Amino acid sequence: MKIVLLILQLAFIESAFGEEKVIYEYKKYEKFDLGNLEVQGELIAPGDISVRERDRKKFNLDFYERKDFSSFVKQDIEAFR
Amino acid sequence: MKWLMLFTLLSTSSVMAKPLHETYLEKKYYYSALNEFFFETYNKPITEKVVNKLEEILFFTGVEILEDYDEDLLLKYPSSSIRFILGRKYYQRGHTKKALKYLENIHPKHRYFPEGKMVEAQVYFKMGDKSKEESAVTKCVKSAAVLEGEAANEKIARYYKMIEEVCLINAARNSFTRGEYSQALTNYEKIPKTSYKWPYVLLEKAWVHYQLKDYNRALGLLSTYKSPLLDTYFFPEAEYLSALAYFRLCLYDDSLIILNEYYQSYRPRFAQLHKVLSSHKNSKVFFYDALVDDAEGFNSNEEFVKKIFTRLKKQIRFSLDSNTIYKLNREINQIHAKEPKETQLELMPHLADVRENIKTKINYNAKKDIFDFLQTVPLYSAELFKLNLEIVSRQRDLLYKSSQLTTDKKKRTRGEFSNVKRSSIEHFWKFEGEFWADELGDYSLGLKSNCAEVKIEEK
Repeated sequence: MKIVLLILQLAFIESAFGEEKVIYEYKKYEKFDLGNLEVQGELIAPGDISVRERDRKKFNLDFYERKDFSSFVKQDIEAFR
Repeated sequence: MKWLMLFTLLSTSSVMAKPLHETYLEKKYYYSALNEFFFETYNKPITEKVVNKLEEILFFTGVEILEDYDEDLLLKYPSSSIRFILGRKYYQRGHTKKALKYLENIHPKHRYFPEGKMVEAQVYFKMGDKSKEESAVTKCVKSAAVLEGEAANEKIARYYKMIEEVCLINAARNSFTRGEYSQALTNYEKIPKTSYKWPYVLLEKAWVHYQLKDYNRALGLLSTYKSPLLDTYFFPEAEYLSALAYFRLCLYDDSLIILNEYYQSYRPRFAQLHKVLSSHKNSKVFFYDALVDDAEGFNSNEEFVKKIFTRLKKQIRFSLDSNTIYKLNREINQIHAKEPKETQLELMPHLADVRENIKTKINYNAKKDIFDFLQTVPLYSAELFKLNLEIVSRQRDLLYKSSQLTTDKKKRTRGEFSNVKRSSIEHFWKFEGEFWADELGDYSLGLKSNCAEVKIEEK
């Protein structure tokens, strides 16, 4: 009886540690008939692909322009004394 | 005995009657006489005779010296010189009514009448009274011309000539502020090329032409600064205005040339100036010494700094202050040589103080002028940077739109006569690689605006 149990135990250990080789095989050729494919549902997108146009950011900076010469007037009056 | 007593009394009273300031005046110790005059008269009734005496002393000392005296003391003396100094002071403080109270009462025959009218015109401009402003300008110009003709020497004549010119320039500036550009140009045109103010006027005239959208004339005027004769005159504002005028003509490449020149050539110069000045900003003598010694203390690589000092030396203020120091030194030397120890001890401390104050004033004014000039640099550097950004942005837009500006770079010429606007009194000179003195200030470019866009044809 002991011998039988030992054999079973050994067999169990072997099955537990032993590696089983799995081989995956892919189909080498498959044909789709796109013409026959049907999609059920409603069309909600526009018929063609479009990108909305947007304006490029324009800087149009304001540049300093002299409107008076008050600082020059002050300087000139002070330049006398 | 009675006669003897009477004689003694009379002789004593005659000695007593002669004030000390009179004695100093006779000895030509003018600055000491002025100080003594105030001591002797401030708590007495101020008669016409007293006022006339004050005018007599101030004729020799000038009014710059009055800066050292208390305003309340000066208010006691109703003389034209004092009115001028006080009116000018109140104008600078922004007290227009008080300024007018004194300026309007300067005697028309007085030597400070033209300068008083110059300040008065600006007071009326601030108040928005155009007719009174114009009347003050006319009086300033006329009286300055008369006194220039009567001037005892060349320096005094130069002073009145300068007053006349500044009055005209200020009138032009005021017209510019009101948007009266043609009137502004009429007054600017009255400034001769020989004037000390003329190089400064070029920039202002360029702004007027810019506002009139005559960018070619503005660019022509600014090109005058490239002349070797004007190499001491450099204004960041002129570089900015050139770049802006090219930009308005859509000549972006020309604008970029100015920009690059500014960054590569001028910015290092400003850095150099800033470095030299910052190290002496607390000095009480550096700027004075640099002006008096012809800026000899600078290295050869500080040529730009030297030029700035040369420009400052041409101011009337420096000339007047230097003259005061010269006269003070002469008085100090005479007292030292001729007067007894007691008199020396009495007069010298005041004279030394006055001389020190004038030197400090020269030092302060030079420092202020240079730092004011340096302060304009960041503004124009920032504006030029913005201009650079805008040009890059516009060039990118053209690229994305497959467009180009009308004038093809390869076909472009440097201008045509048809693009030059000029009035009947304006000259026209073609620039042929050389600056000629009689042509300076009359240049105009003949560039066509490049702002219209054309599509680039596909090859």
